[in-house]
Amino acid sequence: MNEYLELREVRKEFGAFVALKGVSLAVHPGELICFLGPSGCGKTTLLRIIAGLEEQTSGTVIQAGKDISRLSPMKRDYGIVFQSYALFPNLTIAQNVAYGLVNRGVARAGREARVKELLALVGLPDSGEKFPAQLSGGQQQRIAIARAIATSPGLLLLDEPLSALDARVRVRLRGEIRSLQQRLGITTILVTHDQEEALSMADRIVVMNQGVIDQIGTPSAVYRDPLTPFVADFVGKTNLLPAMRVGDNRVQVGEQRFECEVDCALGNGSGLRLFFRPEDVIVRGVGGATPNSAAAVVEKVEFLGAYSRLTFRMNGIEQPLFADLSLNDMEEFHVKPGDTMRVAIPADRVRVFAAAGT
Amino acid sequence: MSAPAPTFQGLTGARLKIHWTDRIGNLLLLCAGAALALFLLAPLVTILLKSAEDKSGLFVGLANFRAYFHTRSLALSIWNSLWVSTLVTAITIPLAFTFAYGLTRSRMGFKALLRNIALVPILAPSLLAAISFIFWFGNQGLLKSWLGGGQIYGAPGIVTSMVFATFPHALMILVTALSLTDARLYEAADALGTSAARKFWTITLPGAKYGLISAWMVVFTYALSDFGIPKVIGGNFNMLATDIFKLVIGQQDFPKGAVVAIILLVPVAVTYLVDSYVQRRQTALLSARSVPYVPKPSPAYDWAMAAFCWTLAALMLAVLGMAMYGSVVKLWPYNFSRVLDHYRLGLIDAGVITSWFNSVKMGFWCATLGAAFIFFNAYLLEKTRGIDAFRPFVRLMAVLPMGVPGMVLGLGYIFFFVPASNPLHFLYGSMAILVICTTVHYYTTTHLTALTALKQIDNEFEAVSASLGVPFWRTLFRVTVPVCLPAMLDVSRYLFVNAMTTVSAVVFLYSPSTTLASVAIVNLDEAGDIGPAAAMATLVVLTSAGVCLLYHFLQVWLDRRTQAWRS
Repeated sequence: MNEYLELREVRKEFGAFVALKGVSLAVHPGELICFLGPSGCGKTTLLRIIAGLEEQTSGTVIQAGKDISRLSPMKRDYGIVFQSYALFPNLTIAQNVAYGLVNRGVARAGREARVKELLALVGLPDSGEKFPAQLSGGQQQRIAIARAIATSPGLLLLDEPLSALDARVRVRLRGEIRSLQQRLGITTILVTHDQEEALSMADRIVVMNQGVIDQIGTPSAVYRDPLTPFVADFVGKTNLLPAMRVGDNRVQVGEQRFECEVDCALGNGSGLRLFFRPEDVIVRGVGGATPNSAAAVVEKVEFLGAYSRLTFRMNGIEQPLFADLSLNDMEEFHVKPGDTMRVAIPADRVRVFAAAGT
Repeated sequence: MSAPAPTFQGLTGARLKIHWTDRIGNLLLLCAGAALALFLLAPLVTILLKSAEDKSGLFVGLANFRAYFHTRSLALSIWNSLWVSTLVTAITIPLAFTFAYGLTRSRMGFKALLRNIALVPILAPSLLAAISFIFWFGNQGLLKSWLGGGQIYGAPGIVTSMVFATFPHALMILVTALSLTDARLYEAADALGTSAARKFWTITLPGAKYGLISAWMVVFTYALSDFGIPKVIGGNFNMLATDIFKLVIGQQDFPKGAVVAIILLVPVAVTYLVDSYVQRRQTALLSARSVPYVPKPSPAYDWAMAAFCWTLAALMLAVLGMAMYGSVVKLWPYNFSRVLDHYRLGLIDAGVITSWFNSVKMGFWCATLGAAFIFFNAYLLEKTRGIDAFRPFVRLMAVLPMGVPGMVLGLGYIFFFVPASNPLHFLYGSMAILVICTTVHYYTTTHLTALTALKQIDNEFEAVSASLGVPFWRTLFRVTVPVCLPAMLDVSRYLFVNAMTTVSAVVFLYSPSTTLASVAIVNLDEAGDIGPAAAMATLVVLTSAGVCLLYHFLQVWLDRRTQAWRS
């Protein structure tokens, strides 16, 4: 495939601290790719290297078949939106959006037409004469995007674009940015620490941890089949338990044995980790003969709207576990703290990782 | 991902290519750094070299220092300077703290008026206070009898005049320190049933700690390095700053002058280092979520505060007023008629008035060219990229002037620019050197003002501009300068007022064609023309006040025209 952007062995050191430990990555044309990770994982540094705002210690950046590793930011082809929006406060919205056009020698009439088009595109057609301070956070955000794409760059970089907004606006803007990006077909990189944002917006997610990429995949792949305990833990709520291999497709946690479909090819190793999601725990139709089932004591019930999160202890396992039960299940089974019930985790939902921390 | 395409070199060892527009920014920063090296570092280094030479220019090591400490009268000046400065600080700080406390933590009326009265001394040359005290308590003073058999000349006059001159500087710092408090700390203390005294000791004082230390340093440094006051009212009481002047101008003993300059530099540099250490330790006490403190009414306390503040304000007005009054009274204290004689005969007819024109001219150039240099250098430092190894040097040069007393800077200029072998010798005696020296002298405060304003601007403006292919200067002039305009005006006004009032550095550097108003006051006083000296001092105060008003209106006008976006 013809990749739009390629990173090869990009490495960044700040003194003794290694922020990026040789990152390689390919971005397909027209896709929205998310860099996801906790703060300090190197995702913003990587974005700034792509933008030329940070200088990589070594490694190559190729955009549209051209080596841009050594180009200054001004010579590169991208638009960028920062968390702070960085709108020029003393210029009107129209002047902000036209800022990059003026320098490209676009004639006045052309500029005005383009600004009008862009403001309509981001859904703020009448705000041209206002100043940034007169707009809400979400509106400023959209203007920042309009300014970034005004010059029709090949690449759009979004650095935590939604984290300064309140929760409601954030959810709405997610959808808007995504549909705008798909309409324009512009290759986009979004940096975020919010896994929900990444799952809902991205074509593919790049999960980063301590300067390396742990996993690249579609949102469902990253959620369903995390490659490392870190990804499993960072994306979504997770039960992660220390486990020991006791046979083919069999592991033991405490005194409880689990079957799993995908075996861990690590011999009779101990120090394994067993993983399943809270929503994979079932209570409906579980009997004594159900595989991977055991008696459990409910410790806490947390009502979260459409579902409830149970904290429970499984027979023979010390660590408290989480289960998400739908409202229907909750009502049918009358679950309350102190209850004992039988729960099961289907074998196809159980995943086993090699030793912790790798 | 396909393996071939090995033609891409990537970045291994080689650096990012710098765009030519960024190169221009780097070049400008290099020039600014070089200018500071030339007009600050070089003169200071010359003093060091000079102090180790004898009069004929031969290297003598520490011989000059040894000779200095063996001259009892000179060595005594160190002691005099130290105890006078300590005393001034010990008097000024409690007064200013109480005054600031009244302004920020009481509900007394007319706070703005009180504050403005207390800040008036900033508009005057320091020696105005000395002249005024001579009118009040001098040999022919109105209230001389109050001193019993005592004398105002010497230490008493110096200390009182310095308290007057340093008061507003301490007040400004302390008002800021006391304003930066979170009301919720007091609410929490109230909820826990804390006594007023305990609240003061556990919340107020710790909160103002850094402000107090900073004010202490500023006052001490000011008192230690001021030249005008001991010159006018010191009599035979010698201090380091006056010693430098006598040695260099009176006796033409340059090596010994250099020695005194270095001795003066040491305590100032120490206080400066302590202060910058303290400033670094200071963390923001006020977060964006803090609730400002609003004092509750408490009549007895409010009246007590008002009484204290008005007493001080009245004393300050008495000092200022006497200098003005003395300027319109003929041959003090004999003839109270012929109101403007000191101005007409003493200043205009005597030709001294040209020095006032020179001062205004110098103030103008400092407030325009000087302010522009300071602002754009701060911009280049803060907002451009590249030549990172050079930046710490420029930063150091920008904060160094705070630790250099004016007398020392002026002396350094003499040593550096007077030798005909220096290609910049032509500057000596010109208006340009006065402008440069004054700008450098007041560099640090103004640099920090500009830096604060620049830091408040989003750091990503430059990155956004680069991504849009816009060179840095376009964003500088379209966005950064308009946004920073209020701070630029502040810098400009500060430089103008200080250029009008400064004596210390320029007293070495003026030529017959470039005498300055503040220097003229020293000379008139020395010639016994205290009436015209008072007239000139009054003229300086009125000019500074007028200029401040002008800036105020300019600010209002600009706000209306260009700051519509601030909502």
